[in-house]
Amino acid sequence: MNANLRDLFLSTFFAVVLGIVASASLLLFLGKNPIAAYTLLATSIIRDSYTIADIFVKATPLILTGLAFALPFKASLFNIGAQGQFYIGALAASAVSLTLGERLPGLPGILLVIVAAMVAGGLWGAFIGWVKAKFNSNEFLISMMSTYVALAVMNYFLRTALMEAKHEYPQTDTFAPRLWLPTIFEGTRLHAGFILAVLFALLTWVLLYRTDLGYRIRVVGHNPTAARLSGIEASRLYISTFFLAGALAALAGVTETNGVQHMLVQGFNPTLGAEGIGIAILANANPIGIIFAAILFGALKVGGNVMGQMSGIPASIIEIMEGFVMIFVILSYFVRNFLATRRAKSLLQKSLAV
Amino acid sequence: MDSPYLELRDVTKLFAKVVANRHVSFSIQSGEVVALLGENGAGKSTIMKILYGLYHADSGEILIKGVARKIASPKAAMALGIAMIQQHFSLVPAHSVTENIILGNASGRINLAAYQKQVRELATEYGFDIDPAALVRDLPVGVQQKVEILKALFQKARLLIMDEPTAVLTPQEAVKLMAFVRRFATAGHSVVFITHKLKEVMAVADRIIVMRNGEVHGDLLRASTDEKELSTLMIGRELPPLPEELAIPASAKEMLRLDGVSVRDAHGGCGLQEVSFAIREGEIFGIAGVSGNGQQELCEAICGFRPLASGSISLDGRDLARLGIRDRISLGIGYVPADRQKDGLVMEMSLAENMILKSSYDAKWKQWRLLDRPRIAQYANSKIQAYSIKAPGPDAVVKELSGGNQQKLVVAREVDNGTRLLIFDQPTRGLDLGAIDYVHKAILAERAKGKGVLCISTELSEIFALSDRIAVLYKGVIQGIFKKTELTTEKIGLLMAGYAIDAALPDMTKEGAK
Repeated sequence: MNANLRDLFLSTFFAVVLGIVASASLLLFLGKNPIAAYTLLATSIIRDSYTIADIFVKATPLILTGLAFALPFKASLFNIGAQGQFYIGALAASAVSLTLGERLPGLPGILLVIVAAMVAGGLWGAFIGWVKAKFNSNEFLISMMSTYVALAVMNYFLRTALMEAKHEYPQTDTFAPRLWLPTIFEGTRLHAGFILAVLFALLTWVLLYRTDLGYRIRVVGHNPTAARLSGIEASRLYISTFFLAGALAALAGVTETNGVQHMLVQGFNPTLGAEGIGIAILANANPIGIIFAAILFGALKVGGNVMGQMSGIPASIIEIMEGFVMIFVILSYFVRNFLATRRAKSLLQKSLAV
Repeated sequence: MDSPYLELRDVTKLFAKVVANRHVSFSIQSGEVVALLGENGAGKSTIMKILYGLYHADSGEILIKGVARKIASPKAAMALGIAMIQQHFSLVPAHSVTENIILGNASGRINLAAYQKQVRELATEYGFDIDPAALVRDLPVGVQQKVEILKALFQKARLLIMDEPTAVLTPQEAVKLMAFVRRFATAGHSVVFITHKLKEVMAVADRIIVMRNGEVHGDLLRASTDEKELSTLMIGRELPPLPEELAIPASAKEMLRLDGVSVRDAHGGCGLQEVSFAIREGEIFGIAGVSGNGQQELCEAICGFRPLASGSISLDGRDLARLGIRDRISLGIGYVPADRQKDGLVMEMSLAENMILKSSYDAKWKQWRLLDRPRIAQYANSKIQAYSIKAPGPDAVVKELSGGNQQKLVVAREVDNGTRLLIFDQPTRGLDLGAIDYVHKAILAERAKGKGVLCISTELSEIFALSDRIAVLYKGVIQGIFKKTELTTEKIGLLMAGYAIDAALPDMTKEGAK
């Protein structure tokens, strides 16, 4: 077990390093000095507490959209629609925030916003589970396409009921400050949403590995036939799993609108859903691993932004780096598996020789 | 002296956690039929998969006609004239017989008509009655096996390895297969026949190699051995006989009752037509038949997995029609499915987690809304001990257990779930003799507690050893219900092959379901 854990850390570390080295070769093609660029990246990430805190700000919604993919994945379901569920959550959070205004004190108000967003996103997700259960439709396609519907719904409200008072841009007015998620560290953007995201990652783990519902989700994921023969109704699980996934992605909507932007802007954060998928795969769909994978991606994002501003290196180099890191981390599963098998074998061989 | 056609020297193969083969050495002569006899998990299939290039040995060497060879892949094995017929066929159901046979051996522009002619000639030469243009999915299992054999012959195999080939055949088909094996050997080729059935060994083999725990425990000529010696070598001890039968008291209540049950086909099988029978408390009702004749549909109809087209099923006088699977489980129906890995277990999960598969909704496993893991582990541990399941502990992952231990796990769980009725579909398929004995005793013990038992098996010896009454299922129709004493292996074989009772067995009286 210890050897396996050591393998996990070592192989993941080397995978990340390899990903960075591979993207360095692309910097060479651009005629830039990769060592200088990476020094810049490293120093810009840890330049000041504001930038360091921003890593966690960026990681917050990624944890949640990662969970939104990972949870249904445990039931062998593909939720490609976290982006849309995120938008619905952001929309519901904004609607409630703007309606509430200054009427409720901070904490109950924020709780109401969170519950409203999670229920809205949950129902949006549950619909995917429902059509899957009812008509055996393909949840991959339905969830993917539902993102576009969500986007259209958001745009509609941003041009009508929720449009700013000036009626100039498709965005809302700023929310009442008492409904903003409280900042954890003064002078940074880091808000309580990060704690919420970590908390929900832990809760997802508990749900999956310590409750009977999570047990059944995993049973359905591993062997749907045996599950059905055992009286486990997969159709109901589809609905509840997609509800939970939608609620998690919707919470990311709250952390972005009430934690970072303090308003809703048309088409913001358009890649959170896709990045969530990558993070979930990177973490092998383990809710705890997702926290760390999201922080890694957060760091790359922050570093990439700073690097792009400073040296004229295109910020997209960071996306390439993310891609390489993901490829190498996935490859590292096979390396680990190989190592574990070889270790067990040599142990066996020794016991034979004795 | 001539070197043998094939020789294995000191072959050892390790998997991650088990020794599959240890210092295995033996040889195969040209024109010889060798039976590889051993319990499941004895390493028979593994050593043959090494020969066929599917696995690679960790040490040792393989000599063909005295020359050491490396067999890197099945393709390399084929090039050396070695062919293997797997337990699970590797045919493409949607393709025709000819297309399957030339798969991997033809490229570029394919002249199908010419190949079809070639396949037809080959089939005639060996006396196989096969239409080369027929689609594989339309063929019965016995014929599909012939297609596999033809495929090997087409590739000019000199050594034919057959893994448990009779498992899917009727007794009559098995006899024909044996005849083919003899004939193939007479032509100077070699055959390795993997099996755990002593009768087949005595019928077909020239030489018998007995394996146990991955090692060779005997290399004997058929002429100089007998079934008793072989079974002792195979198990390493003698089996105690099954306990005496219990007489069912005439007062025993009828518990499960099927009236005119019809089910539409599935699994490429044939559904059920107007099946009626009743099982009394403390009775084992056996169903004999070649697999794919409606057995699985029957189990699934009773368990609620498959809707009835007509008819009714009742348990203890209660109609099951409107009850779902979970309701039926809570009424006390336990089901050990034929395919334990697909239908009965979650292979990636732990032993303890598999023990609560059917009772995860039950409040007894929960504490403060969370799973009471210590309690579940304790329950699993008690079963590990009661059924002597060989496992490191309740947290062991099920796929790392041997087939026999997996089956014991399913039996342990279902015996607890099935407080009234137990359905066993192929309860000992693929198990070694030790595990078979164990499962049989468990079945008899449950009957002694007054549970009703439905026992479905393609192994006639099993049906005869356990059942109080026997029904024969053919194409979804019950061919008759008999007391055990009314049947012989020969008669039941004819019934299983679908011969009408009146024509084939005019002297046999048919006993009704009531």
